[in-house]
Amino acid sequence: MRRLLLLVAPLLLLNAGSSSFVCRLPLNFPTSKEITHSVSVTAEAVAPSGRRRSTTPPANGTPGQQIPLVNFIDVDVFGKMATDGIAPTTLSTDEEFLRRVSLDLTGQIPDSAAVTAFVADTTPDKRAKKIDELLASDAFADRWTMWFGDLVQNVQVASNSREFYEGRNVYYNWMKTAFKNGEPYDQMAREAMAGKGDSFAVGTPNYYVRQLQPNGPIQDTFDNLATHSGERFLGMPLLCLSCHNGFAHLEQVNSYLAAKKRADLWSMSAFFAHTRATPQPGDPNNPNVRKYMVDDTAPNGTYLLNTVSGNKTPRCTVDATTGKCTGTITSASPAFILTGETPRQGEPLRDAYGRMVTAHEQFGRAAVNYIWKEMFGLAIIEPTNNIDPAKLDTQATNPKLLEDLRTSFVASGYNFKALLRSIAISSTYQLSTKYTPGGWNEAWTADYPRHYPHRLSSEMLLDAIAKSTNVFPSFNVQGIGTVTKAMQLPDTTEQARNAYGRLLDEFGRGNRDEVMRTNDSSIAQALSLMNDTIVTTRVKRTTNGSTVNKIMASTTDPGSIADQLYLATLSRKPTSSERSTAISYLQSGNLQQKTEDLQFALLNSLEFLFN
Amino acid sequence: MKNKNECPDCARGTGLALGPGFSRRRFMQIAGTGLVASWFADVLDPKLLFARNAASNASLRSTAKSCIFIFLPGAPSQIDTWDLKEGSWTPSDFAPTSFLGGNIRFPQGLLPKTAEHLDQIAIVRSGLAWAAVHSLGQAWVQIARNPGGATGSIAPHIGAVVSLESQVNRTTSDVLPGFIALNSGSIPGSGYLAAKYAPFGVTTAQTGLPTIAHPDGATRFNDRWSLIHTIDQNRTSGALGKPSLDMNDFYDQSKALMDAPGINNLFSFTTDEHTRYGSSSFGDSLVVARNLVSARKGTRFVQATLNGWDHHSSIYDKNANQSLYTQCAMFDPAYGALLTDLKSMPGSTAGKTQLDETLVVIVAEFGRTVGVLNNQAGRDHFLRMSYVFAGGGIRGGRVLGATNAAGDQVADYGWSGNRDARPEDVTSTIYSALGIDYTTVRHDDPLNRGFEYVPFAKDGVYGPIEDLW
Repeated sequence: MRRLLLLVAPLLLLNAGSSSFVCRLPLNFPTSKEITHSVSVTAEAVAPSGRRRSTTPPANGTPGQQIPLVNFIDVDVFGKMATDGIAPTTLSTDEEFLRRVSLDLTGQIPDSAAVTAFVADTTPDKRAKKIDELLASDAFADRWTMWFGDLVQNVQVASNSREFYEGRNVYYNWMKTAFKNGEPYDQMAREAMAGKGDSFAVGTPNYYVRQLQPNGPIQDTFDNLATHSGERFLGMPLLCLSCHNGFAHLEQVNSYLAAKKRADLWSMSAFFAHTRATPQPGDPNNPNVRKYMVDDTAPNGTYLLNTVSGNKTPRCTVDATTGKCTGTITSASPAFILTGETPRQGEPLRDAYGRMVTAHEQFGRAAVNYIWKEMFGLAIIEPTNNIDPAKLDTQATNPKLLEDLRTSFVASGYNFKALLRSIAISSTYQLSTKYTPGGWNEAWTADYPRHYPHRLSSEMLLDAIAKSTNVFPSFNVQGIGTVTKAMQLPDTTEQARNAYGRLLDEFGRGNRDEVMRTNDSSIAQALSLMNDTIVTTRVKRTTNGSTVNKIMASTTDPGSIADQLYLATLSRKPTSSERSTAISYLQSGNLQQKTEDLQFALLNSLEFLFN
Repeated sequence: MKNKNECPDCARGTGLALGPGFSRRRFMQIAGTGLVASWFADVLDPKLLFARNAASNASLRSTAKSCIFIFLPGAPSQIDTWDLKEGSWTPSDFAPTSFLGGNIRFPQGLLPKTAEHLDQIAIVRSGLAWAAVHSLGQAWVQIARNPGGATGSIAPHIGAVVSLESQVNRTTSDVLPGFIALNSGSIPGSGYLAAKYAPFGVTTAQTGLPTIAHPDGATRFNDRWSLIHTIDQNRTSGALGKPSLDMNDFYDQSKALMDAPGINNLFSFTTDEHTRYGSSSFGDSLVVARNLVSARKGTRFVQATLNGWDHHSSIYDKNANQSLYTQCAMFDPAYGALLTDLKSMPGSTAGKTQLDETLVVIVAEFGRTVGVLNNQAGRDHFLRMSYVFAGGGIRGGRVLGATNAAGDQVADYGWSGNRDARPEDVTSTIYSALGIDYTTVRHDDPLNRGFEYVPFAKDGVYGPIEDLW
């Protein structure tokens, strides 16, 4: 539906000024092709001179407004907007930028002091420096470990398998360390897909454990591994092929896969046929706790075409000509579905698998598409797990952008931080949320002419409530200890039985199994934000160390109270009219109550809930 | 008539992307690959193949207005309860007794209140689970499909489907969410459907919903509500875009819920009710379930969950932390009181009781092993199980299907499907009772694959247990 809207978007042409919008390329700015091969963190640290605005910005929506094209992203995005005749809005304010980039890169809102210092900073490249600072923080690893944990679905209990908390934790710690150390993304993927050893002692074998299918033959587990990695690392719905050929099924779903056969998927699954997960007692005091030794202990293991039960349609010995079950081929041998490539002589099968998956362009394409979605709330190809390599030009809202992001990511050696930095430093990312050139049309969303707000994720929201009120929860996590941020929880089923867990569930964290993460809204969310004591006690002066408590200990001046509450909650100073409204409210009754009410109302403002 | 807003191009009961008249099966017949024999079964079961005649224009029962879905995770022993097999293992105080003119032997000593209602209850003994793994089976019965199957990861809870389907008939007095889950913890949600169809999860408390009333009082709340709207211009300008306005709508709906008189009474219970329903939180949840369906304020599907049936050991030990005794002591008075109350309350249609209009279903994820107990005096996981239905227009006082003397094999399917009754059939039954076309295929799923309310139901593989009516 969204794509259809986009196709007609150019026909809808806009207000008078926008069609004459001209995208200005700085004179010496490299073309996107050049920059994709030279992009690096240091090269971008110095933004083009157009970024410095010593004078007031031009009036909103002025045609030809000076928006610097910082890198290839801007060239592609503003180029597309120019083609489509859509005018971009203005750049974000420092406050708007800081809140956004802090949430996106670290999952946390900035505290008041950080906002004040950032606004006061006159250093020309302060935004770039802030991005680097955030990328280097521990909170960066927390936030992206949550993302990667969702991607590989690291969870202690799932409907098909149990990692137990011990396996979940060691897997979680592996991810977090990898993000902290800046491990290349392709290497992380390869390590996970070939993980071996004791699932309670080593993180990566849990990738295999998570896909174990108990109610079927081992081929079902092999299929899970191939289809899961196909979906999560290649962004393609290989699951469809695990029951039937693509022909006459997938034409409308994924035309590339429509030409593939179930046998092609079997060949993907066959890469796992040497691997076994052997259960072992995981806890001397509890016989129900099992860990697994995952290793390539079945060198002669093959993917046999001999099943009649389990989770898939029967696997039969197909005749290559007739397609009937009367054939003589009794097993599938490993071959990569996208290229037909087979393992090298002597190469361990899962190593070959990881090598081929991560070497294929679809790997980087899927990754940048996911990450773009994390930063903008809307991916270049939606849904992110159904990329059709045969239809990239029509499926992607901006095919060139997708390709340039991919080549940039590959050229950086799958440097996760460098990719995020390229995005965060771009003017595209730094556009304002407010659309000021004229009336807004929802159909323009995928052109990114403004930063389009999306609801904070479950964990971001709870952490933002805690940080803005300065009252932090204490989560006891089995095997890890106490953490004070929801973003530090090792999986999305943690704390399920307490009020925080209920709130996190209400805000759609999902369960890394059959409940998907969502940032939809609901009645339950609104009720909780207004009436849950998680919120209402945090705005009380009588709550120890609360923001309201601290403010009121230092001042009774309504103007100062308003300033401090806006800063702590919305990460910005109030506008003059907001300030005077707040002052009259604070003066309209008991100051303590009114102060509490003001922060309550700010916590319930759409601006707080969205980013 | 249904859901034009929800599903503009939603085709019901037709083929997938290939269009009418060219179903997958047709294709497979043409292609002749030999896979056709097993095409429709998630798990191959030869018996299924005989029941594959296409259901054309599903006829719906539409006898119920709402459903109370009682879920017993852990899985109770069917041969000690609904499908009693008396043997050396049977404790004497189970007091097996004949009911319904000798049609059923029932452990009156274990489930005395339930026994009083056997004339309203229909037991299906030919139930069969797909998987003997708790989490897999639990998800399966709540989403009516294999969680590991093609649409498992995007599938909504069956209550979310009911909620969506009832959306079009909602009126302004329908302030309650369509699907409310009581004491059910983390269960499947709205899947790929909008979050408003997700279960509204409630942990019961005598004072009602923790978030329906403002903790600092109504006066304070009114001040705060108006302050929210004074300072938040984005609520009227829509400057933050459509998703933010959706959120604003939910604020308005929440306010309507808070303002509607007596809403919290529905979620509350008296000490007397608490006692009469067995003095347990499960009992409390059935009081609330009763209140919600009889209030007729928009809630069509209520799930009440009672955990703790995984009796691998000490199943007959009254002093064990959890045994059949401790569990049934919670289940039985609550279930009995629920049926008593629903039967005594008038329905929305003249001459009908609330029970007549409420389908009460009891399911678990699977059953337990039969015969003598295991070496830990317990019973292990087993696929054979029973389903229990009452109200909602079905005919009670009956047993459908039979197992053999040991209880490990089916002896008589006992229903027109002439095969094992699967969780998918239970879901089809619920949908049909509520007037929801169980053969529906939505075409708004993110995979663009076509989302079947009940997989393969359109092909006649699964369907309602029609003999219940």
